[in-house]
Amino acid sequence: MNNKTSGLTPDLHAQFAENSKRYEKELTFGGWFNNIWRSIVSVSKGMYITFRYVWAEKPVTIEYPEVREVLPENSRSRLFNDAENCISCLQCANACPVDCIYITATRRDKEAEKIKTKDGTPIRLDLQQYTIDTALCMYCGLCTTVCPTECLTHTTDYEFASYTLDNMKYDYLADYIRAWRDRIVKD
Amino acid sequence: MHNEIVSHLNSAVPGCNATAVIAEVGDSSIFVDSTHILKVCEDLASGDWEMHTLQVITGTDYEDRIEVSYVLCSFTKNNELILKVKLPKADPNAVPEIDSVCSVWKAADWQERECYDMVGVIFKNHPNLRRILCPEDWEGWPLRKDYVVAEEYHGMKINPEHKVNNADHHFFKKIQETQEDPKKVSFSWKGE
Amino acid sequence: MAIELIENGESIKSDLLTLNMGPQHPATHGVLRVEIKTDSEIVAEAIPHIGYLHRCKEKHSENLDYRGVIPFCDRMDYLAAMSMEWGYALTVEKMLGTEVPRRAEYIRVMIGELQRLASHLMFFGVYAIDLGAFSPFLYAFQKREFILRIFEELSGARLLYNYYWIGGVWNDINDGQLRRIAKFVDEMKTELDKYHTLVGENKIFIDRTANVATLTPKQVYSYGATGPVMRGSGIKWDLRKDRPYSIYEEFDFDVQVGHGEKGTVGDCWDRYHVRMREMHESIKIIEQCLDGIEEGPVMGKVPKIIKVPEGETYMRTECPRGELGYHLISDGGKTPYRLKVKSSCFTHTSMLGEMAPGQMIADFVATIGSIDIVLGEVDR
Repeated sequence: MNNKTSGLTPDLHAQFAENSKRYEKELTFGGWFNNIWRSIVSVSKGMYITFRYVWAEKPVTIEYPEVREVLPENSRSRLFNDAENCISCLQCANACPVDCIYITATRRDKEAEKIKTKDGTPIRLDLQQYTIDTALCMYCGLCTTVCPTECLTHTTDYEFASYTLDNMKYDYLADYIRAWRDRIVKD
Repeated sequence: MHNEIVSHLNSAVPGCNATAVIAEVGDSSIFVDSTHILKVCEDLASGDWEMHTLQVITGTDYEDRIEVSYVLCSFTKNNELILKVKLPKADPNAVPEIDSVCSVWKAADWQERECYDMVGVIFKNHPNLRRILCPEDWEGWPLRKDYVVAEEYHGMKINPEHKVNNADHHFFKKIQETQEDPKKVSFSWKGE
Repeated sequence: MAIELIENGESIKSDLLTLNMGPQHPATHGVLRVEIKTDSEIVAEAIPHIGYLHRCKEKHSENLDYRGVIPFCDRMDYLAAMSMEWGYALTVEKMLGTEVPRRAEYIRVMIGELQRLASHLMFFGVYAIDLGAFSPFLYAFQKREFILRIFEELSGARLLYNYYWIGGVWNDINDGQLRRIAKFVDEMKTELDKYHTLVGENKIFIDRTANVATLTPKQVYSYGATGPVMRGSGIKWDLRKDRPYSIYEEFDFDVQVGHGEKGTVGDCWDRYHVRMREMHESIKIIEQCLDGIEEGPVMGKVPKIIKVPEGETYMRTECPRGELGYHLISDGGKTPYRLKVKSSCFTHTSMLGEMAPGQMIADFVATIGSIDIVLGEVDR
């Protein structure tokens, strides 16, 4: 004997039939028409709302490449470090939860010319490397809040997709990124 | 509340050795003997304390023991209770055992599976004790303090060489070589 | 009906069919795989498999300082990130004994309720999609967009905010934003009624959700379900009312429970309706916040390097999807020794196995939608 019957199957159908019976009221003639009437009313109410959206409401979307949205001022997008005002305190790297900021600095000679940042903090270290791996960055904003000279900021640029991961590594001492400075830093 | 529960438990479940830890900061908890956990839970769930619900099971790894905390809560009495057991482990890789409380609360099913998966505690008489968040053939207990990430998984290398950003990590070493005094160089990268 | 053949006078029945739903099924709201054993169209057994989005947030937080954990909390429930942060901030504040300024508390409550609104709007839209209606999704998203814009102006991000800090909130809210919120909640009242007429009163929708996946209070207690799932089953329990945290005890609002208007108490329609009415309650709270908001600082006094004293705590907050609990165990150091997240979605997913047997596969889609899970919170 081919005993293929699953133990669950007969019970299941009985259970399902019982469930349906318990919930379904007996269908009377009037109830049948009532059902149809309620369906028509509720669907036409919904259709009224939907068609209002077709004709009475203005479009809310923007056509992206032609129209570009301007992000709010404190929007957290691509990071920018103004290396001239950086005092290499390493606080941003310590605050970073994903360790994507790499900084190396060397101590300035005592005889060298004394330089200061924009807000008057003396710079005692020469910045040798300031790299952020933007592909790792999660844009939480913790690094910018600890920055004492406010040289590390989030910009509102949001179109910086790139083809390789290496391009996502931003070396803020490189010339091409220093060129952003005129656009971003406002004295 | 905790002291009352302790005296109640000690009389209702003989041998459970309930002790209250009244905390100055944060929440107090109750420690019971791990061998009596099922009886204690049954008593709390159906007795006067009406702990209808098991909220969460937390496993915590310490050097010599694993602590399993059961957070129970009562919606009728509007209170919650942290019930803890200590499971000593002989060596760092030991997997201690404790009775499952699935028969008391169904919530324990998945919570115990997660605890087994993450901390490595075997719950005896659990209907379906297997890994829940990690793949079933995963090795090790991820939330133990001495856990080391495996090097390979099914022939796939975890953290392969070419994906590690060595150039930026170790830039400071290059700078250190050029400087006369290596102490003059400060750098942010502390990891390997 | 199951295929039933008569062969040599003996009946042969078909086997159960195993069907994998997910992990890329659109109705599973993420990467949930449900292994369904079906007999023709009726589900005999459903085994949820989770872990596809496991990112070891609990392990991560053991190596991060207390401030650094907040962005990771966002990424658990990405549709209600503000509420996730709030729970964590409250947990650490409870251990530190930090006083949060009044203005910050008002902002927290207001933003938390706006987040609840956004999250429930998302539920409304996605649930309609699950059941075959596409346009409500777009209407709900249009309104949700306003909330995200406000959040973006406040915190700088659209989805993962890092806005609730330990001791207060990051940025202050200005009068222009308050006025815009007031205008928004005002028009939201009629909007919500419209949505309910469009979807909730629809005959097809009622037929698909009423009497489906009914949960009894006993099941709810045993599984530890919370939030709208629990209230849908007729249990009047809301942490904001019964164990008020923050300044919720100052606000006047009702706890909505399911009454079984269209079917039985605790069915999918009740869970849907509880969420819809909860949005009205959120609007009530936001309006009271707008009236009562006080001037002052938005950050309390918090040490620069946070060291939580030795001990443990379990803090529950009412998130849009249910109760969120953080079990924090500290050894007095700069990082948490253990941070366990009690996620309501995890609990609710475990109930799928109980709710599924005996219903149609199509109803099972309605069931998954009605418990409103976010897989990021399930897997953490």
